[in-house]
Amino acid sequence: MTTVIIEQRRRLRPSGGPDRVYRVVLRLAGAGVLLLMTLVGAFLFDKAADALGIAGWSFLTTEKWEPDSGNFGIAAVLTGTVLIAGVAIGIAVPLAIGMALYVSEYAPRGLRPALIGLVDLMAAVPSVVYGLWGFAFLQGHVIGLARWLATYLSWIPFFKVTGSDPRDPLATETVYTSSTFIAGMVVAMMIAPVICSIMREAFSQAPIGEREGAFALGATRWGMIRSVVLPFGRGGMIGGTMLGLGRALGETIAVYLIISPVFSIQPHILQNGANSVSALIALRYGEAGPVALSALMAAGVALFLMTLVVNFGAGIIVARSRSGAESEA
Amino acid sequence: MKTLLRAVCSAATVLAVLAVTALPASAAYVPITGSGSTWSQNAIEQWTSNVEQYGMRINYSGGGSTFGRNQFASGLTDFGVSEIPYGKDDGAASEARPKFPFAYMPIVAGGTAFMYNLEIGGRKVTNLRLSGDTVAKIFTNVITNWSDPAIKADNPGLTLPARKIVPVVRSDGSGTTAQLTTWMSSQHASVWNAYCAKAGRSNPCGVTSIYPLLQGSAMTAQSGSQNVAGYVAQPSSVGAITYVEYSYARNLKFPVAKIRNAKDFYVEPTYQSVAVALMAAKINTDKSSPDYLTQDLQPVYTYNDARTYPLSSYSYMLIPVDEENARFKKSKGKTLGDFSYYFLCEGQQQADDLGYSPLPINLVKAGLDQVKRIPGVDSQAVDITKCNNPTFSSDGTNTLAKKAPYPPACDKAGSTQCGTGTGGAPQDTPTTGGGGNTGGGGSNNGGGSTGGGGSTGGGGTTGGTPATGATSGSPTGGTGTGTGTGTPAGGAAPVVDPDTGQVISGGGTGAGGGSGQLVGDNSALAVPVTVGVQLDPTLKTVLIGLACALLVGLTVGPPLIARRFSGGDRFGNGDRR
Repeated sequence: MTTVIIEQRRRLRPSGGPDRVYRVVLRLAGAGVLLLMTLVGAFLFDKAADALGIAGWSFLTTEKWEPDSGNFGIAAVLTGTVLIAGVAIGIAVPLAIGMALYVSEYAPRGLRPALIGLVDLMAAVPSVVYGLWGFAFLQGHVIGLARWLATYLSWIPFFKVTGSDPRDPLATETVYTSSTFIAGMVVAMMIAPVICSIMREAFSQAPIGEREGAFALGATRWGMIRSVVLPFGRGGMIGGTMLGLGRALGETIAVYLIISPVFSIQPHILQNGANSVSALIALRYGEAGPVALSALMAAGVALFLMTLVVNFGAGIIVARSRSGAESEA
Repeated sequence: MKTLLRAVCSAATVLAVLAVTALPASAAYVPITGSGSTWSQNAIEQWTSNVEQYGMRINYSGGGSTFGRNQFASGLTDFGVSEIPYGKDDGAASEARPKFPFAYMPIVAGGTAFMYNLEIGGRKVTNLRLSGDTVAKIFTNVITNWSDPAIKADNPGLTLPARKIVPVVRSDGSGTTAQLTTWMSSQHASVWNAYCAKAGRSNPCGVTSIYPLLQGSAMTAQSGSQNVAGYVAQPSSVGAITYVEYSYARNLKFPVAKIRNAKDFYVEPTYQSVAVALMAAKINTDKSSPDYLTQDLQPVYTYNDARTYPLSSYSYMLIPVDEENARFKKSKGKTLGDFSYYFLCEGQQQADDLGYSPLPINLVKAGLDQVKRIPGVDSQAVDITKCNNPTFSSDGTNTLAKKAPYPPACDKAGSTQCGTGTGGAPQDTPTTGGGGNTGGGGSNNGGGSTGGGGSTGGGGTTGGTPATGATSGSPTGGTGTGTGTGTPAGGAAPVVDPDTGQVISGGGTGAGGGSGQLVGDNSALAVPVTVGVQLDPTLKTVLIGLACALLVGLTVGPPLIARRFSGGDRFGNGDRR
């Protein structure tokens, strides 16, 4: 029995020219991607070497950014990047899960293609549009929420806002603007559709047999989703989140338009003043002298490495959990 | 993904079509690109759109003066625009300079204005006055509240609210910041250096293009003139003030502060006051100097003419001269040359409408000489008398400055300020009397707030006697100095602003005795009172918690109860496996 199968396989394996050429082309493409990544990394490291030489290890601990006087580091901008991405993920993931579940499970069949198109359209809107919308529209309307959070949840250290006095009717509202929170909200709007698309794909692939099985056992729709769809889609959920996180870390122009850059670690997400690596680069690259440019490259290296770690981490988690989910389901 | 692809495709098609249709028009003129100052961007953009009809395509993008100088130096643009020359700010040591010959050419004059968003009792203030010292202290976190006595002293006719001042500064490398810090470091050095030291900059700080920011202060930073002005103009930004070119305030319909000059007059940066001020500017006239035609503004800050706006300055274009360089070829010379001829001559007429001030005749002449040096320029002999530049005259004097009106007496320091609006907000702000409208505090229920009637006497009147009343609150008038006491009859009941609990109008109408002239009841007089009852915070928290519980109960409750009544726990509720 087994020998027959092996023989069949051998015979089925296409041999000869076209196949080999195809395989070589694919390998070349794969190697090309790797080479490109290595080149980008090498280029960044090469350009960043000057600045890293000047700053040394203090590059990781300095908050200020004054490359011309040799006093610069990424402690503040990197923290800011992580905070903005964190806020964005915190808002986008629940939103995306809801969107994806509704589209794949609840929405009427006729409406589904339209909804999918809408979500994809959201992903296609350029980030500068989101940035302008955030600056001109969202910011003014979110102040109320930010003030409310600052007033009642300020015992959570993240929500503290220095300089706000809820009892003062003349207190300025600008302390709640240009903050990590608002930048994170706008970035969330941008990454939610991406996360949603991936989750929806994963959810819609939940095997029909098991869905029917759950219904046959008397499950409600939510019961079916909990016992079949969500466990099956776990890999997709984590993968989508990580992909969204990667995008959020690198988001530039929307953040650049909204934040008021501060060069000190700013853990109060509702407070005016935030920063991120990519916004810093966008803000300063044009006016940078040679040392400053090298310093910006060094900041770019840091971002590059962080995104690589996040994406590799995502890859590992997805690979692991997907196999588990599938076999369990 | 498909949508994205399709969008890219259609964009490409549009671009291709544009390129094809644009070809015949641009046959004579090669398109050129420039970047830099956002201070003069409004003027440049108007000019570039004006010359488009001749087929000239000039792509100008802002980005800030530092950006413009850097891009020009690295050969990424054909021309740059900057307020300060190379090597004038603290980043000079590392600043890249062009490796090819270049020159400065003045393009337009203007005033760095202080645009603000301030309300008294829901009414926009349009006639704020500030002295230089106050401005310096506002932008260095020394004065942090609009009710500060220093601001009060500048504005005897306004009762300013106890709002926080939010100074909005530029986050990018900016020529406007450089202009402001040049002025601060020369006129208010101690205030500026103290701030710089606190922000961790080297001391003495001098001129900088990147404004130092202290964390935890109310100050906020935005990039580009458009964004700082836009930020101040937002309805949520009441209390904000920023420094931008006058045109931005005009475009956004916002007022600008009148700044006190050396003659103790408060002056608005109109095209006339800027022209007067810049008569004092020292222009480098040494043709062999690399900084030929650049400005020294020190004498402007202290110029002894009542019509001077002290923060006036010129903006410069950086142009390649004498020879071609790696980027700028002779073919581009015609476009840049003709464009320069246009804005140095005809374009200057529009300076006033745009919120700038026209260049005086000597700078136009010098500029035209510079244009001749552009490689590949199509040299023209311009008859400058036909340019209709309002500064030109037959005898060489600056007509505009000569004809500029003197500020009214109400703009003099010490007098009650004029009510007329400024900048893009021409509506009046009513003012109250001379110096003394101090009212007493009202009671907690807000009913008996008091309005002090102010009177304009010789400037030094004593405050009104606060009258406590229930609702009528008839205020008694102030005592006019010298000429006897004026006791006006009480007018309408004081109007209390629902937002802030401040008295908007004190109602002190009536004829006063003596020479004291009393102001009508539409005055923007506000007396600070404590705000009405506020809920106890713990009670408020409890109420919020209760409301949330109620909401959750209402949503989750009915299905749960229904399930209980229908009996039995169905699969899916527990989902036990």
